[in-house]
Amino acid sequence: MSETSPVLPLNRGGHVGHCKRFLAGLPAGAVEADASRVAIGFYCLGSLDLLGTLETKTRPEERAAWIRWMWEQQSVCGYGTGFKGSNYMTIDIRSPPSAQYAEYDTPNLIMTYTSILSLAILRDDLSRLDRKGLVQFVRSCQREDGSFSALPSGGETDLRCVYCAFAISSMLNDWTGIDLNRALAYIRRCEDYEGGYGQQPSDEALGGTTYCALASLYLAPSNASAQRLIDSAFRARTIRWLLHNQAVDGGFSGRTNKISDACYCFWCGASLAILGAGDLVDNAALVAFLARCQFSMGGLAKAPEKPADPYHTYMALAAAAVLPSPHVNETWTLSRLDVLWNTTEGTAAWLRKHLTEKA
Amino acid sequence: MSYIEEDEESGPPLYCERPEWADVTPIPQYEGVSSPIAPIFYTPDYKDATDYFRGIVKTGETSERVLELTEDIIRMNPAHYSAWQYRYRTLLALNAPLDAELRLMDDFAVNNLKTYQVWHHRRLLITHLTVSTPGAKPTADPLDTAQAELEFIVHVLDVDTKNYHTWSYRQWLLAHFDDSALWLGELPYVDELLQADVRNNSAWHHRYFVVFGRGSKAQATPAEEAEVLQREIRYVKGKISFAPNNISAWNYLRGILEYSKTPFSSQAVFAESYTVRRAPWDDEDVVDLDNPKPSTDADLPSVSAMDFLAEAYAREGGDSITKAVDLWKALANQHDTMRKKYWEFRIKESLETKSG
Repeated sequence: MSETSPVLPLNRGGHVGHCKRFLAGLPAGAVEADASRVAIGFYCLGSLDLLGTLETKTRPEERAAWIRWMWEQQSVCGYGTGFKGSNYMTIDIRSPPSAQYAEYDTPNLIMTYTSILSLAILRDDLSRLDRKGLVQFVRSCQREDGSFSALPSGGETDLRCVYCAFAISSMLNDWTGIDLNRALAYIRRCEDYEGGYGQQPSDEALGGTTYCALASLYLAPSNASAQRLIDSAFRARTIRWLLHNQAVDGGFSGRTNKISDACYCFWCGASLAILGAGDLVDNAALVAFLARCQFSMGGLAKAPEKPADPYHTYMALAAAAVLPSPHVNETWTLSRLDVLWNTTEGTAAWLRKHLTEKA
Repeated sequence: MSYIEEDEESGPPLYCERPEWADVTPIPQYEGVSSPIAPIFYTPDYKDATDYFRGIVKTGETSERVLELTEDIIRMNPAHYSAWQYRYRTLLALNAPLDAELRLMDDFAVNNLKTYQVWHHRRLLITHLTVSTPGAKPTADPLDTAQAELEFIVHVLDVDTKNYHTWSYRQWLLAHFDDSALWLGELPYVDELLQADVRNNSAWHHRYFVVFGRGSKAQATPAEEAEVLQREIRYVKGKISFAPNNISAWNYLRGILEYSKTPFSSQAVFAESYTVRRAPWDDEDVVDLDNPKPSTDADLPSVSAMDFLAEAYAREGGDSITKAVDLWKALANQHDTMRKKYWEFRIKESLETKSG
């Protein structure tokens, strides 16, 4: 594909501008993100990190302010310590804990994972992280069947939350918050006949949750290796299913016979990279698809001709970082990605130094 | 400008303007010590309602008006999970009629198909409505309730036949209530969906769930199991004959063969007729019901058929590997060049296994 149609350059300046606009504020129409602003922050900061422009395109005082805001989301609850997605239910963090909502303003497991990554991207030394409380919080989110929920008080459980628990535990190098046997058994129960993993047991195979399952299995500590080993026949099925999700337009769909979406270019592409099969992807066609997802005003969209948003901007850049194509111009050169933690290798090294190795 | 005045007149009054809310102290959101990440420029309505919601949660009030307030908030922001949680708590505290809540949620679900909370709330309601407590009958008959839910989901799937949450919810209902009367209607329903769109992978997945994923309750003798397997193989091959390039159907065939540990080679004769361009004399073939031939307008050869047949040959091993390699070469160089590296990898892998 690269021979016939030259790939558009990556509009780096436009994408930096897109991320900075969203960091500065969201329109009223984006109110559905009210409880998960930390995630929006992660997508924007993560994109700047992948572009290698965080230090040059943002001011030190801006980064210091973001770090202060992030730490304000760390909160203690009856279930331990974690990060909230925003202060959308917060009255005043200076009031004593008893004056705050016990059940309606708790930390969130997914937001905790993205907060730790965001703080590492901003090169905070993470010394204020309440490690013990964090492990307790992870433990409180695990359910009887081995799955995890985003909130300790309950709510839906699925592989996304399992992945966040595994990522946090591996960053802390402390697995005492997880009943591993049960968690690994739950992941196995999410295997689908097509070769992917569903969001919950007996759900349809889906790109995003397949990434969550595989990354968790590879993050699991080596003493869990007996169960960690993925059955080789199922592994072959997974690779086949993932590769067949690449459509004629070069993009990946998240499920069989669905249309391509930039985010699934990452979820499927990263899954293949985890399995050591990333080099089997037609990466020239993939990058050509991502290039066409660029929005004229900056940012990347789920598909060509669609409006951009921070989530698809990050996922598209992460896809291009994890499966770089040798056939494109240098504008597409991005920071290398640590595929299991889903952050740049530079940020992963920072996490290891300030968190993992301090265990 | 005039439209702003109209807007102000037509909208409902803010909670801070309503005398019946005067006893609640609104509590603004904590703004933080420094400039925040991604602040949202709230509408006055949303800011007003959430100020009152924080006030309500602080006092722990659970009353009728809390239902109005939380409904208001989740209509503006369906992902406001604290409002959902508090609403559920209030419904239980008031002993409110949960079937009325379900009806209220019907339209809401259709308009917010992709919101997690909508479906989670429904699961909580249905579970609570039908649970038996010691000495007390459930509020609603479990079977009738589940049946009504399955019918409701049919309407929701009409809007989006592949909605992930909706399918997941349907499968949860079937597994949760696990009654033969409920399972009975599923295969005709799946068949209807596949007749409308044979490429609907969610429908194929549901078929697999219904036939093979039901678990221990569906006890069958080995003979019955074999019969079901043959029925499914016939069914999927019939669907393939009309759309030979539909990968969903091929994946289903592969899936049920793997599940039952049936060799792929058992279907090699069937697959082979889809790997070649149609010959003019094929029309005169004797009709073989077990191995339906491609329809006359089929686009052949089918990449999925070649993939399947190569897999069958490769698993046979020995001399058959050469035949697998020929198919993979044709896929790599002519019929599926996007996956060239994959087919070449399969060739390399199988030759290594052969020589090893």
